[in-house]
Amino acid sequence: MISYIIRRCLMAIPLLFGITILSFAIIKMAPGGPSSLMLDPNISKGDLAAFEEKYGLNDPVHVQYLKWVGNMVQGDFGNSLIRRGVPVSEMIMNRLPNTLLLMVVSTVLALIISIPFGIISARKQYTLTDYTVTVTSFLGLATPNFWIGLMMIMLFSVQLGWMPTGGVATLNAPFSIWDRIHHLIMPALVLATADMAGLTRYTRSSMLEVLRQDYMRTARAKGLKENKVVYKHGLRNGLIPIITIFGLMLPSFIGGSVVVERIFAWPGIGMLFIDSAFQRDYPVIMGLTVISAVLVVIGNLIADILYAVFDPRIEY
Amino acid sequence: MKLKQKSLLFIVLALVLSMFLAACSGSTGGNENNNTNNTDNATNNTGNDPEDEEEEVDSNEPVYGGDLILGSTGSPTLFNGYYSSDTASSAIEGFIFDSLIGSDTSFETTLSMAASWDQSDDYMVNTFVLKDGLKFHDGEPLTAEDVVFSLSIPLHEDYDGPRKGYFEKIESIEATDEKTIVITLSDIDPSIHVAFGFPILPKHILGDVPVADLGEHEFNTKNPIGSGPFVFDEWADGQYVRVKAFEDYHEGRPYLDTITYKIVPDADALLTQLATGDVHYYTVPASDYHTVLEWEEAGDLKIESGLALSYTFLGYNLRNDLFKEKEVRQALTHAIDREAIVASIMAGDGEVAHVPESPLSWAYDENVPKFDYDVDKAKQMLEEAGWTPGADGILEKDGVKFSFSLKTNQGNKIREDIAVVVQEQFAQIGIEVKPEIMEWSAFLADVNPPAWNFDAIILGWALSTDPDPSGIFHSKEIEEGLNFVAYSNPEADELMDLNMSTMDRDERADYIKQANALIAEDQPYTFLYYPNAHRAMPVNLEGFEFHARLEYYNIHKWWLKQ
Repeated sequence: MISYIIRRCLMAIPLLFGITILSFAIIKMAPGGPSSLMLDPNISKGDLAAFEEKYGLNDPVHVQYLKWVGNMVQGDFGNSLIRRGVPVSEMIMNRLPNTLLLMVVSTVLALIISIPFGIISARKQYTLTDYTVTVTSFLGLATPNFWIGLMMIMLFSVQLGWMPTGGVATLNAPFSIWDRIHHLIMPALVLATADMAGLTRYTRSSMLEVLRQDYMRTARAKGLKENKVVYKHGLRNGLIPIITIFGLMLPSFIGGSVVVERIFAWPGIGMLFIDSAFQRDYPVIMGLTVISAVLVVIGNLIADILYAVFDPRIEY
Repeated sequence: MKLKQKSLLFIVLALVLSMFLAACSGSTGGNENNNTNNTDNATNNTGNDPEDEEEEVDSNEPVYGGDLILGSTGSPTLFNGYYSSDTASSAIEGFIFDSLIGSDTSFETTLSMAASWDQSDDYMVNTFVLKDGLKFHDGEPLTAEDVVFSLSIPLHEDYDGPRKGYFEKIESIEATDEKTIVITLSDIDPSIHVAFGFPILPKHILGDVPVADLGEHEFNTKNPIGSGPFVFDEWADGQYVRVKAFEDYHEGRPYLDTITYKIVPDADALLTQLATGDVHYYTVPASDYHTVLEWEEAGDLKIESGLALSYTFLGYNLRNDLFKEKEVRQALTHAIDREAIVASIMAGDGEVAHVPESPLSWAYDENVPKFDYDVDKAKQMLEEAGWTPGADGILEKDGVKFSFSLKTNQGNKIREDIAVVVQEQFAQIGIEVKPEIMEWSAFLADVNPPAWNFDAIILGWALSTDPDPSGIFHSKEIEEGLNFVAYSNPEADELMDLNMSTMDRDERADYIKQANALIAEDQPYTFLYYPNAHRAMPVNLEGFEFHARLEYYNIHKWWLKQ
C-alpha cells in the first residue's frame, strides 16, 4: 500500500508538468496581454514596452516557461502582474480556504441527498417514486448552475428574505458561526445540484446490482427484515463504485465553483481564476492551475486508497 | 490498466477545465465606461465650492454617522494613483488620498489642499501654497516636501507606471518653503491641471524607496496612507474594501462613519443585492435602468441621473478600401436609425450623438454636418460611389462585395444588440455585416496598434474633462495611439495643434469646434449616442451632487438622514 502511494505520487510529477506546459501554452495563445488593457492615450507605447520588458513578457515563450518553472519548483510562484508586487501565493492562500470549504460542504450535501434517493429508487424500481427521482435528478443535471443560483437568490433572498444574497458573511457584523453557515447554504446547494443527478443514478444502479446478489437472498432467507438486509449487508458493497465516481468529480467541482462563486460573490479561487484570465495575469493563472491540478491528483489518490479500504478484494 | 485510463481521463478533464478557463466569458471591463481617454485621475475633489444646496430646502442639519455600502462589479488592484489604471482602484484612491486641486460638477478646477494657485503671465510658472494644518492619516504633517516628492515620481527615469504622459511638460518641481511649491513648465500645456490633480503620497514613508520599486511596494496594497477624507481600514480580497472617517480631514470629518466598497462580480447578482439592501449605492447599467426605476417608484431607493461624460460610436477602419471614401461613410450613417436604437435598445435612455464631444463640455457645438436616417439617400450615395447590387443583392464594385465584420466586446448587452440592429439595417441597403462579439482583452488586442485587425467596431469613449480631441483623432496618434481607425485630416490636425498651444479657453473652444465639425463631416465614426448615468442610492442619502465623471463626488459631504 505504502509503495503504491509513493508510486502514485511519483507518477503525478510528470503529469503536473504536462498540465503546466499545456496551460502555459493555452494562456499564452490567448490574444492580448496585461498591458493591452490599458486603453489610454496618455500611456505611451514606450511605457508599455518598459512594463513588458521589466516582467519579461517579450522573452520567447519557452524561456518564460522555464523561468516560471524554475521558480515554481523552489516554491516561488512569483508576483501578480496586475496587482504589482503582491505574491501569487498570498493571493491564492487568501482564497483557497473559501473554495475548499465550499467544495467540502457541497460534496457532503451531494452525498447526503443523493445516496438515500438512489437507494429508494433502487428498492422501488419502476414505480412512480423511481420515475420521480429519475426525472428530478435529470432536471437538476440539465439546468445550468447560474440559472438555479439566480432563481434561488430571487426566491429566497429577494422575495422571502430568508437567505443572504451572497458573500461569506454579513458585512460590518461580528463573526458568528450561524452567519457563516447561513451564507454557505445556497452556494453549496447549487454547486451540489450538478453532481447529485450522477450520484443518484450511480447509487441506484449499483444498489440494483447488489440487491440481486446471492448473499442478499441468503440474508433474506435467514428471516432478516428487508431494511436490515439492505443497509447492513447491501449498502457497503453498493457504495464502492461511488468512491471512484467521487474521485472523478473533483475537477467538476473546481470548474463548477467558478460559476457559483461569481453568482454568489463567493471570494474563492474560481473568481480569482476568472479575473486573472481576463486580465491576462499570467503568474496568477499558472499558480491557480498548479493548485487545482494538485488538488485533483490528491483527490484521485484518496479515492483510490478509500477504494482499497472499502473493498478488501482490491490489492495494490 | 485501470490507472492508465484514469490518468488519461484526468488529463482530458484538466485540459477541458483549462480550456474552459481560457475561453470562458464574462464582462470584465465591458461595462458602460470601460475606456479611459485622458482620464482625470479620480481624485476626490474637495474644493471650496460655494454652498449650493439641493433644490429642496432642507432645514435639517447634516448628522454624523452611518455606514454606506457601495456596489461594484470590478475588483481593485492597488491603491496608488501613479500605478493603477482601473476604475475600482481609482474610486478607492479618491477616498484615501487628496490632491492640490480637483474639479467641480461643471469640470471647473477647484482648490483642494492648495490654498492658492498662481500662474505667471506666460502660464509657465505655477505657484501653489498649501493650506494650514494638513495631516496624513498617521498624524504626520503634510508639507510642500510631500508634494514635490509625489509629483516628481513620474518624472523619474526609473518610473514604470502608466501615467508619464500627463507630466511631460513639467520642467522642474521645487519647494521654496514648508508650504510653497513652484512648478515650472517647459511648454504651454492646457491640460496640465490633470497632473496637478494627482494624489499626494507621504514622503516620510516612501521617500527612501527606489522609484523602480514603488509600483511593487506593499504600501499600495497593505497600508496606503493619504490625507483624504477616509482612512484605509481593511481590504478583504474579493469581498470588500472598507475605509473609515478621518477625524482630522482638512475640510472637517466626513459625515459617514465608514464606506464599504463591496465587490460583486456578477451584474445580475449585484442588482439583487441592491434590491435587498445589501448594497446601498450603485451606478446601474443602462440595460437594468427600468428595473431599478420600478424600485424607485416603490420607494425603496432613489435614482440620480445625468448625462455621462461619454459617447458610443461605430468606428470604421479607414485602412480598409470599403471605407476609404467620405461619401460612403456618410451613406452608412444615413442607413442607421439611431433614433430607433436609442428608443428601442436603450428604452429612450440616451441622446443621439452627432459630435465627437459630450454636450457637457465647454467645447461642445452641435452645429456640425449631420447625417440623419434616410435609407433612400444612403442608397443613392452608394450608387453614386459606384456600388451596385450584385446577383445576390449584395452591393458590388469592381468585383468586390460590400461585406465586412463588425466587432464589439462581450458583456455589454447594449453594444451586442446594436451590432444586430446595424446588421439588419445595412442589409436593407445591400451591405452584409457579420457581427463578432469578442472577449475584452482579445478585442483590445485586435483593435490596438500594431494589429488593427478589424473592419468596423462598436466602442465607447469615456471622455476627459478637457475637451482636446487630439488623443483620438490626430494623425500623430495613428501609429501607436488611440486613433486606430487611422483618421487623418491635415486641416483638423492643425486645428487640434492650435488648441493645445494656447491657454485661452475661448480660443481653444473655437479651434476644437472647428476641428470637430471637420471630423463630423468626414465621419470616421458613426456617432451613435450619449448614454446617461444612473446612480441608485438610499432614499435618506443627503448631500449628494451628480458629477458626470466622478461616481463618488464629494463623498465626504454625503450624510444619512435619521
